[in-house]
Amino acid sequence: MSTRVLGQNVPKKDAATKVRGSRRFPQDFDMKGQLHAKVIWSEHPHAHVVKIDTSRAEALPGVVKVITAEDVSVNEYGIIIQDQHVLAGEGDRVRWLGDRIAIVVAESEKVAREARRLVEVEYDPLPVVSDPREAMKPEAPLVHEERGDSNVFRHIKIQKGDWEKGFAEADVVVESYYVTPYVEHVYMQPDAGIGYIDDEGRVTVISSAQWPDHDQRQIAPMLDLPQDQTREIVPAIGGAFGGREDMHVQHLLALCAYCVRRPVKMVFDRNEVMIRTGKRHPWYVKYRTGARKDGTLTAVEMEIISDSGAYASTTVPVLEAGTSFAAGPYVVPNAKVDSYAVYTNNAVTMAMRGFGTTQSAFIYEMQMSKLADALDMDPVELRMKNLFQDGSIGLTGHEMPQGVGIGETLKEVALAAGWKEERGRWSKPDLGAASGPHKRRGMAVACGLKNVGYSFGSDDKATVGVQLALDESGEIARVTVLSGACDVGMGAQTFLAQMAAEALGVSYDQVRVAMVDTAKVPDSGSCSASRLVWISGNALVRACQEALERRDQILLAETGETFVETEHEFHGRSVHETHPYDPETGMTVPHFAYGYAAQVALVEVDAETGETEILKFWAAQDVGKSVNPAMIDGQSAGGVHMGVGYALTEEYIQQEGVPKTRHLADYYVPTVMDMPLEFTSITVEVPDPSGPYGAKGIGEMTTLPTAPAVISAIHDAAGVWIDQFPATAERVWWAMQAKK
Amino acid sequence: MPTLEMILNGKEVSVEVEPGDLLAHVLREKLGLIGTKISCGEGECGSCTVLVDGFTVTSCIYPAMKAHGREVTTIEGLAKGSQLHPIQQAFVDVTAPQCGYCIPGMVMSAKALLDENPHPTQEEIRMGISGNICRCTGYYQIVEAIELAAQRMAEEGGAP
Amino acid sequence: MWDDYLFPHSVKEALDMLEARGADVRIIAGGTDLALQRQGGRNPATVMVDITRISGLERIEERDGYIHVGARVTHAQVAASPLIRSRAGVLAEACGSVGGPQIRNVGTLVGNVVNALPAADGAIGLTALDAQAEVAERTGRRWTPISDLYAGVGRCTVDSCQAMITQLRFKALGDGEGDAFERLAKRKALILPILNAAVVVGVDGGAVKSARIAIGPVATKPFVATDAAEWLIGQAPDAAAAANAAKLAAQTAEPRYSLLRGSAEYRKSMVEVLVRRALTRALALASGEGGGHADS
Ligand code: FES
Ligand code: FES
Repeated sequence: MSTRVLGQNVPKKDAATKVRGSRRFPQDFDMKGQLHAKVIWSEHPHAHVVKIDTSRAEALPGVVKVITAEDVSVNEYGIIIQDQHVLAGEGDRVRWLGDRIAIVVAESEKVAREARRLVEVEYDPLPVVSDPREAMKPEAPLVHEERGDSNVFRHIKIQKGDWEKGFAEADVVVESYYVTPYVEHVYMQPDAGIGYIDDEGRVTVISSAQWPDHDQRQIAPMLDLPQDQTREIVPAIGGAFGGREDMHVQHLLALCAYCVRRPVKMVFDRNEVMIRTGKRHPWYVKYRTGARKDGTLTAVEMEIISDSGAYASTTVPVLEAGTSFAAGPYVVPNAKVDSYAVYTNNAVTMAMRGFGTTQSAFIYEMQMSKLADALDMDPVELRMKNLFQDGSIGLTGHEMPQGVGIGETLKEVALAAGWKEERGRWSKPDLGAASGPHKRRGMAVACGLKNVGYSFGSDDKATVGVQLALDESGEIARVTVLSGACDVGMGAQTFLAQMAAEALGVSYDQVRVAMVDTAKVPDSGSCSASRLVWISGNALVRACQEALERRDQILLAETGETFVETEHEFHGRSVHETHPYDPETGMTVPHFAYGYAAQVALVEVDAETGETEILKFWAAQDVGKSVNPAMIDGQSAGGVHMGVGYALTEEYIQQEGVPKTRHLADYYVPTVMDMPLEFTSITVEVPDPSGPYGAKGIGEMTTLPTAPAVISAIHDAAGVWIDQFPATAERVWWAMQAKK
Repeated sequence: MPTLEMILNGKEVSVEVEPGDLLAHVLREKLGLIGTKISCGEGECGSCTVLVDGFTVTSCIYPAMKAHGREVTTIEGLAKGSQLHPIQQAFVDVTAPQCGYCIPGMVMSAKALLDENPHPTQEEIRMGISGNICRCTGYYQIVEAIELAAQRMAEEGGAP
Repeated sequence: MWDDYLFPHSVKEALDMLEARGADVRIIAGGTDLALQRQGGRNPATVMVDITRISGLERIEERDGYIHVGARVTHAQVAASPLIRSRAGVLAEACGSVGGPQIRNVGTLVGNVVNALPAADGAIGLTALDAQAEVAERTGRRWTPISDLYAGVGRCTVDSCQAMITQLRFKALGDGEGDAFERLAKRKALILPILNAAVVVGVDGGAVKSARIAIGPVATKPFVATDAAEWLIGQAPDAAAAANAAKLAAQTAEPRYSLLRGSAEYRKSMVEVLVRRALTRALALASGEGGGHADS
């Protein structure tokens, strides 16, 4: 499809203010008469709160109020399951270090800080549950006594075909045990915001949220207010990666403003972000894969245990999504999967780029790499042989909808990295000489796929509004797009403006995208699930078409009107219905749409120290339709960066529920020096007929193949499989020692 | 309270500070220069990078009084009115910023680098921003932007 | 919180300030560690005596066969100094790997010693160079081997509340001498090392005539592998000698398990690797073979 504005590297709408430093993030706002709030956090990973004494803090001059559980109308909340307390009161339990006891509100930040130390809390410690595998045992202490007699709160079963027969037919069976790490989002902008009562009496919060409308849905009942008496404004977001799907400051600020009726500012320091906010789920996985000599997959069997930490957060949908892709983009006729979500007293785990599919990409791609090795088959060829195509039957018995681009994506990346193909036979390139006597080179490939939009029967929808200002001749002079779609940095404002410009036949500069403010823009759902291009894009394109029709009517009727406004609510189910897992067989139609990625890593392992250096990296992504190539390259590189950290350096370490990596100094986000010198981003466009202009989501997919590509390349170089990662130098070294 | 006197973005400024104030807080809270970002507050990420006498420092751990009598440049000191500094313009042109939170610090590191070394190699650019963490971009477009800026500044021939 | 921030203009004035203000006062140079210690509540001093305006302390110069480095000299200046790069490359390499550029622009080499952390790259380089520190007290100035400055992890025998280190000195390397620095870390920049090693060797007439090997962080202070160095003396400066000396160094070093740095076994093995690599490079340099110093 030829397009005019789509496919152009227009400057991002917010780029100029961001390079000037004039873009204001929530911590950059101040209001007249504002107070400052600090949270009193739990000091124990598991304990009863016996007594809370706020009197000394309240007596400190400058302290306006110490807010406790008694001040909260409805204290139970949670993004999906209401298993958390806004504030833990006397008699309540704390279940991790991110539980809150009280909030001090004071005239200055200094006083708030001081007062925070004066709140005295007496605890009665309880046994700490720190390993989800132990937590599943019947004798394990319960993290949530009130929620049944087990720490397991979700068990997903998939039984497809005859898995025993499948294994019987296999010539080769690969069996592994994987442990994926706890990982922190490390969005660079610490959570912050201001709560106040606006001119119309609404409890208002300025913050960096991923899903302001859903925050409101949680805040309103908490304060016992109708939802339209709450409001959230999202001026700019300094990264999110799923980490801001749950509320961190929003509900606390709303509560503060509601209680003291003055503006209240709260800014987390990095320590609070590190210790008191959610992480990526670690998985503990037993995985068996069976295949015939020719590489055809016959069966998979696995058990996945997901550490949910102290609260459910989005663990259930994360596990549901991850499980649905546990066999990857491959046709597997027979399967048995059991996935468990388990409470512990570890840090709460939640959405993070990939939403469970990052963990599954690691396990299925490691299995494929091992299988290729066991069969002595080229890893690209093995994958090609089993890869999804349009209409393939997936793990949950569903048919893959049109637009499956993984074959193209894998092919492009393999060719770019130097693979040769001859009549279906693939061969790996020569890797060249290593850079030193102790260096070993290796290269490997990995694929990934993920759903776009919410799944399993959720009514995923987005509403987008369009306003046209017409000049006297009826031409469109200016356009405003109204959408609650938050821009976490990936460029939502920009691609929405590009799509509107394309759909309306105007220039990009004529389109403005309004700031997200729940009082002014419609609900477009969360900025997550790689859904914005697809779902908000679909709503927007339709709203634009309706606006054009209205404009034509006005011109025809010669009413002289110069303003047109439309709004379109788009439902994912208008593409096709999705459903929850069948409770016994797991069969379902899980998702609306998909996005794909494939990557190749060339690494060098130091055989003496175990250090891995990534020399070159190729990343291909199928975006359906490239809206803004430079932004896609940015998503690609950023996704790979997060994957490199996942593969090699990042690990959030806890002991008995107490984090040991409490500073950025101990949590190793890759620096520029850790990134491969050569990076190639390849964009593939296999249109998705359900997407606007054929576009698919991309934000998360780019991170999926990285860790398995890098870690499989380590095997290619050093001959060791690192099944528990990150593949630190020491882990690789021990594996090499064990092999000797 | 001691008075901190400095040349800030080319203008003489004097401001009352506490002896223990850190430069980032003085800039942000006392002088309203919110372009200097605080992310880790511990000298570990470079978001708060500003220049003191042309050298990059992490202002979140830099005692404000150390800037007394010095020349301090923040991100706000780069553009001339509506005209972006060539480094800023290059960041826009190659779509380097994503969330943008690390970007002021990156631009300041790039500025110090190009002032000192107008024709850096890619490796030197990487070294130059090795004290700045970005969680969004993977750094490639940032390196590209700095290369582009260096090239444009050399073509214009003028001093940055 | 701090109550006062002072800028003395001479060493004498600084010492007078320390005397006059009693126990709550201390010397600050770059302050990169101090600001963190204060945030963590680990430093109670309230009056800062900032020595970065004292003239004379900013110099890197060669005098009487020694290279002198003043107390104001930053890691970045050490790493970029042509004199140090050509005559004590190990120190340039070490200082060039501290933190990130911003920290190297502010943090001083002397501060790296005063903070007395056994992982400090600069201090490991200085230990290999057998550096001395000039300590200024009200009673006068004296030169002390830097190895005598360590009273324990994070504790320096020179009390920043009473005295200050004004400069460091070490012998410039000459013909027949070579040096090298090696480091292992969990990331390539902006990070403390898991291990680091610095070596300085001298070769004469086809045999090793001097050797000094410093390793961190394997003890409460920079560790000097004396046995290994002694063994090396008289050996042919070849790969086998480097390998054997490295083995000896690893036998005597006692790295401990650390949750963030790694197991004792791994780190002990890595001592051997790093020392061997450093010695191999240094011996080659000393023997006039290829390689060259950090800057060549
Ligand atoms: S905020 Fe200053 S270095 Fe991170
Ligand atoms: S652009 Fe988001 S941290 Fe760099």
